[in-house]
Amino acid sequence: MRLIAGLAVAAVVLGAAGCGGGSSTDTAASPSGSGTGKPPLRVGLAYDIGGRGDQSFNDSAAAGLDKAKKDFGITDSKELEANQGETDAQKEERLRLLAEGGYTPIIAVGFAYAGPLKKVASEFPDTKFAIVDDQSTLAGNITNLVFAEEQGSFLVGAAAALKSVKNNVGFVGGVQVPLIKKFEVGYIQGVKHQKPDVQVQVKYLTQPPDFSGFGDPAKGKAAAQGMYDSGADIVYQAAGGSGGGVFEAAKAAGAWAIGVDSDQAKTADPAVRDRILTSMVKKVDVAVYDFIKNNVDGTVKSGPIVYDLAKGGVDYATTGGHINDIVPQLEELKKQIISGQIKVASS
Amino acid sequence: MSAAGLSVGQPLEAPAKPRFKMTPSILLLGLLGLLLLLAIARVVSGANDITSAGTFSAALGLAVPIGLAGLGGLWSERSGVVNIGLEGMMILGTWFGAWGALQFGSPWAGVIAGAIGGALGGVIHAVATVTFGVDHIISGVAINIVGLGVTEYLSKLVFEGMKGGGAKQSPRIPAMGTASIPGIGDPLKTIESKHWFFVSDLAGLISGLTQNVSWFTILAVLLVPLTFYLLWRTAFGLRIRSCGERPVAAESLGVNVYLYKWIAVVVSGGLAGLGGAFLSIVASQLYRDGQTGGRGFIGLAAMIFGNWRPGGLAAGAALFGYTDALQLRQGGVSVHALLLVVAMLLALVAVYQLVRQERIRAAVITFVVAALVLAWFLLTDTVPEQFTSVTPHITTLLVLSLASQRLRMPAADGIPYRRGHAG
Repeated sequence: MRLIAGLAVAAVVLGAAGCGGGSSTDTAASPSGSGTGKPPLRVGLAYDIGGRGDQSFNDSAAAGLDKAKKDFGITDSKELEANQGETDAQKEERLRLLAEGGYTPIIAVGFAYAGPLKKVASEFPDTKFAIVDDQSTLAGNITNLVFAEEQGSFLVGAAAALKSVKNNVGFVGGVQVPLIKKFEVGYIQGVKHQKPDVQVQVKYLTQPPDFSGFGDPAKGKAAAQGMYDSGADIVYQAAGGSGGGVFEAAKAAGAWAIGVDSDQAKTADPAVRDRILTSMVKKVDVAVYDFIKNNVDGTVKSGPIVYDLAKGGVDYATTGGHINDIVPQLEELKKQIISGQIKVASS
Repeated sequence: MSAAGLSVGQPLEAPAKPRFKMTPSILLLGLLGLLLLLAIARVVSGANDITSAGTFSAALGLAVPIGLAGLGGLWSERSGVVNIGLEGMMILGTWFGAWGALQFGSPWAGVIAGAIGGALGGVIHAVATVTFGVDHIISGVAINIVGLGVTEYLSKLVFEGMKGGGAKQSPRIPAMGTASIPGIGDPLKTIESKHWFFVSDLAGLISGLTQNVSWFTILAVLLVPLTFYLLWRTAFGLRIRSCGERPVAAESLGVNVYLYKWIAVVVSGGLAGLGGAFLSIVASQLYRDGQTGGRGFIGLAAMIFGNWRPGGLAAGAALFGYTDALQLRQGGVSVHALLLVVAMLLALVAVYQLVRQERIRAAVITFVVAALVLAWFLLTDTVPEQFTSVTPHITTLLVLSLASQRLRMPAADGIPYRRGHAG
């Protein structure tokens, strides 16, 4: 009781202290009434840690949902977020909550949902599920939306090799999981394909099960600074929220960084945008949009759908114009990858 | 953190020998000796980054949040309140620090706001543990959860409306100024780049610690002697420490134990909040959800490492920060060179055990371990990535396990105190 009283006091005090800050904005995340006419689609979305507002792949998924809602007149959608350090049971509960609420399709954003989704999907055979970034969970009602990150990373790797003056580039990964390994492997292959003698420094901020490496900009900054200090002039980051630290280090060193997931020369803070050479764009929004569209059309298929270069699921960004001079070479490489002339390994 | 650790030592044997006293000259010699070992390791392995200015500078930056959290823990525990809520107070500090800096357009406003934010966490802890006598661990864990939840809520409320911000992170925070000792920056850089034995290493150390140091870092470093002065050289500090050693005795002498515990716990929160503010304002230049990454707990470990003393705590934080900088900057190569340092240190310990303490069996074991580490160094070129990221933790554990017999926590630490219940 005393503890509860104490906490209540604390919450009030802290709440009051925070209110001086600024305006509040509500996201349209609440389910509204059902539409009229034909039964409307009710879409459920379960985010990974970060959720809406992470300026990364969760936001990208949200953008796909928003576009689909607008285009197909979907009014009823529910979005739930994961919390830092939660267990698989909590993820399961989140999916179950959506399924029991009658939402279908349900999209699980992130490979962390693989285990929980396997369980829940078998409990709700009539509900359509999709999972982003995982193709280990296969079932009749699961669509796996996966990306050929290695292909996009290959292209930015080639760009790094072409642009590096010191013949030394770096890669900062958030957490050493198979997904991030795909970025690294593709990147290195791209660098070596273009210039075999370029040195590549690699660093992962944390090891699983410690996932703090995706949200620790201070570590990202220290790691990138280390690379710049030992001769790198371009660092590619696939480190989620730690990536901001990599950009800070690039700014301080007057060197280049390469963004990831979204076109970060547009989304990162204005002060560091001019240090972003290019970004490996991963179009989670397209995948989410397509999946909802297929549900509307009734053409949804189960199993993996790979969004690769050919499908436009991954790409490199040209914002800022820093790589305009090498675009023809990159386009040529892109063609060769699409045609199968260059095979990019993923692990 | 239980009393079990206390009975291990054999305090009665000690009086025979004069007690070892750490003087500034011994400290300086020790540090130079350590640098000498690092210089040897650098020359042998060629891992130039282990004594580069960049590494020492990064080490300082990584050590500060841990050190500040540790200082927070020190204030609280010296008054007899276990503070496992440091992490939550740090989280509050990261958010309030970022908010203050953005709201008032000055990083120093953020520093103050961060301290206040952390102190609010301290107030909760003080209300719960001192006023209401709640179990310290339970209250601390609750604060860790509350800190996480409150900042998440506040971010949605405040940062989402700002340009460049979102529910999970703040916009970029205006940069804080840095200070350098003028005139020596370039010569030191030149000396460092020559890679001379020891001289370049010393130049790297001095350059890293004197060039482009954030004002916040200087403030944090000054807080260590200030804490020592306040807690060990003033009547106020004596009263706080008496509350942690024997509150009933303090009460009988007219000390208002509740008041002193309150002050200590709120200061503790403020210091942890400063650590958080450093993370968001200086180390990252933005607030990011979850950016503390357990540093509050590491700070607590640094405090225990330092035997509940400010100097030892600073050494613990520095060790952690240095090894963290090594593994983050050059990963496998630097950590591999560190193996040689560990081997040499262990060999020295073995000699000490043999000659000074005449503990033959212990010396042999230490020597064998040293030989094994040396063999590991010689037979490999690098340390696997999976191992490097835990280097700071393993190093800290190693030193702790060697020194744990000597640790002594405040006698009444963690024991709930009720006024007027003297037995």
